[in-house]
Amino acid sequence: MNISLLQRIFFFTLGCCFLFILLLGSVIWSSQAIELAFSRNNYAQQLTNQTNTLKQLVANDNIYGNNYSINDWQTLEVKLTALLKSSPKLTEQQQTIQNSLQNQNESLKSLFILINKNKLKNASEIIKKHLKAKLMTQLEAIRSDALHLSAIAQKDIYNTIKKQALLIISVSAVSILALLFGSFTLTSIVRKSLNEVKNAFEKNHCGDYQNIQLSHHSQEFDSIADAFNTMNKKLSESTISLTEMKKIVDERTHVLEQLSKTDPLTKVANRRALFERANMEFSRAMRSKNKLTLLLLDCDFFKNVNDEFGHLFGDELLIHICNICGQEIRDIDFLARYGGEEFIIVLPNCDIAGGIETANRIQNSLARHCVAIEGKKVCVTLSIGISMLSERHQNLDQLINDADRAMYLAKENGRNRIEVLPALNLH
Amino acid sequence: MIAVSKTPLSTPFYVAKAIGAFDETCVSVKFDEVVGGQRAFAKVMSGEVDFGTSSDSVIAFQSLANKAFVTHAMFVQSDNDVKLITRASAKINSTMDLKGKEIGVTHGTASEYFLSTLLALEGLTTEDVELYHYKPEQLVNGFINKDIDAFLPWEPFGFQSAQLLNGQIEIHKTKGLNTLSFNLISVTADNLLVEKAKCVIQGLSIAMDYIASHPKESKQIVMDELKLTAEFIDWVWSDYIFKLGLNQSLMLSVESQAIWAVATQMTKFKEVPNIEHFIDSRAMLQVMPNAVNIPQ
Repeated sequence: MNISLLQRIFFFTLGCCFLFILLLGSVIWSSQAIELAFSRNNYAQQLTNQTNTLKQLVANDNIYGNNYSINDWQTLEVKLTALLKSSPKLTEQQQTIQNSLQNQNESLKSLFILINKNKLKNASEIIKKHLKAKLMTQLEAIRSDALHLSAIAQKDIYNTIKKQALLIISVSAVSILALLFGSFTLTSIVRKSLNEVKNAFEKNHCGDYQNIQLSHHSQEFDSIADAFNTMNKKLSESTISLTEMKKIVDERTHVLEQLSKTDPLTKVANRRALFERANMEFSRAMRSKNKLTLLLLDCDFFKNVNDEFGHLFGDELLIHICNICGQEIRDIDFLARYGGEEFIIVLPNCDIAGGIETANRIQNSLARHCVAIEGKKVCVTLSIGISMLSERHQNLDQLINDADRAMYLAKENGRNRIEVLPALNLH
Repeated sequence: MIAVSKTPLSTPFYVAKAIGAFDETCVSVKFDEVVGGQRAFAKVMSGEVDFGTSSDSVIAFQSLANKAFVTHAMFVQSDNDVKLITRASAKINSTMDLKGKEIGVTHGTASEYFLSTLLALEGLTTEDVELYHYKPEQLVNGFINKDIDAFLPWEPFGFQSAQLLNGQIEIHKTKGLNTLSFNLISVTADNLLVEKAKCVIQGLSIAMDYIASHPKESKQIVMDELKLTAEFIDWVWSDYIFKLGLNQSLMLSVESQAIWAVATQMTKFKEVPNIEHFIDSRAMLQVMPNAVNIPQ
């Protein structure tokens, strides 16, 4: 059952009121019970006093005297009878004594009336004495009963107070425990629910979109949790698209970057990428005093091929050259299209000899792999200029320039050959 | 073993036995049913039984003989148990008319004492009437045989006479004129006997509470036990007060009856002993101290 927090507070308040009324009721009831016990004792004591007075009267007066007036007796007896009729509510045991008291009182009255009727004119002193003793016995019987009643009533007062105190203590203890339990439960529900909501907000803040799982259900917190969970769901959906968007943008950016650094025809690095990488290798070599060699390759008679077989074939041929070069260089080497039919290969940690070896491998491979068109085999050659970093090179352009000059040298010297710009004082 | 007088006055004993109140205390109790407190007294004195039930009148008469007995507790009182029954045709309208009549009583009991009290109220003594002594159950026979014109039986003989002689008798209204009590007695008690008396009184105390809270059931128990009719129980029940006590009024009552018996020469004894010798409050003080009210 889903109870609202307000209802809980209402029931708790109602419970408090009920317990308070219960406590108040038990206090009132107890005080009445104690009052009743006291009134019984008071009643018994009044009876004792009244009987004592009557006893004194009978003992002192000459009830057989001619001038004896029964007025005093009657007044006291009427009082005693009235007192007996005005008894408070008694216990069963006390009621038995009360019945005895009433009977004894009736006997007392009968006896006194008979004695007083003719004043026992004909009777001897012995008879008179005996009947007076009988009257006294009767009074004593009443007094004994009254004393007995008083003793019971006193014991009853003690028992009643003890019982009622125990009752009030029990009711108070139960009430306090119930209130503590109620308030603890209520506080615990509110505190736990608030913590759960707070934790959910904190997680949400950190991008962990988890629903609020309430350990205690209440209409108020359930509605907060529902609203939060709905909001969270929407937020998590839109946040997922942003992530994906970023991923897509990153991918696209990466592709664009690749495109901006790649020659669209040959798919090798373009001039921009070449300078970026070559500058980096130049700086590194300068810094670490490592060797750095450049190969500048130019396709021989490329214009003729284009004229004879068309530009498309020319393009295919350039791709072929790149493939051959790519196969013959190391992983750390870098191939780029420098312009038209010119390519540059950056060879880090490589001296002139290594550059010549690489250039030879490329030329040999190219010689072995010709390109077929219209049933004819077309074989191309490369003029390769090699330059190696030396003290006179202040920047990359000078190094490239050396390679370029070497390449022109190779052209001049008959093409399909390798020329090295003499590099003196190599470090 | 308790000699119990076969009268509804012994209700607390019958109820205690029926509801098992004695089982809860420390003695096993057996009843020896007798007719009249005098016979119960005799059985106590002969050692046949440990305890007996006797009226205060019997105690008064027996105290004169200085017998070695004690009273432990009073358990019932009635202000109308002994009744004056007269022959209707004898036209006895008041006690005064008893003068010179033949009257049947049970000697040394409440029956005889009550007659002397009634006579005293009119300034008469037993000398003014002709006394005939009968056993309690034979009083009515004396009346039927016309040996007597009046008799003073206790219950249930009063009721039986009324049933038997309906129309021939007159029962006088004497309620309140003589309060009779029934008491638990034994021979002068040693510690063991006091201990036994304590157990009996504890059982009686439980029975008293039961009688107070279950009067209907208690009546039924006595009716079954004494083979009585509901009519009879209703006849006597309102006169009875069942309560345990040991107080000054019992002593005064016994003493005044003893003095009376000596003065009116109902007994051969001349000296009235100290009644306190015949009261033993030790058992009662242990069970119900607040019901004890005698000079210590």
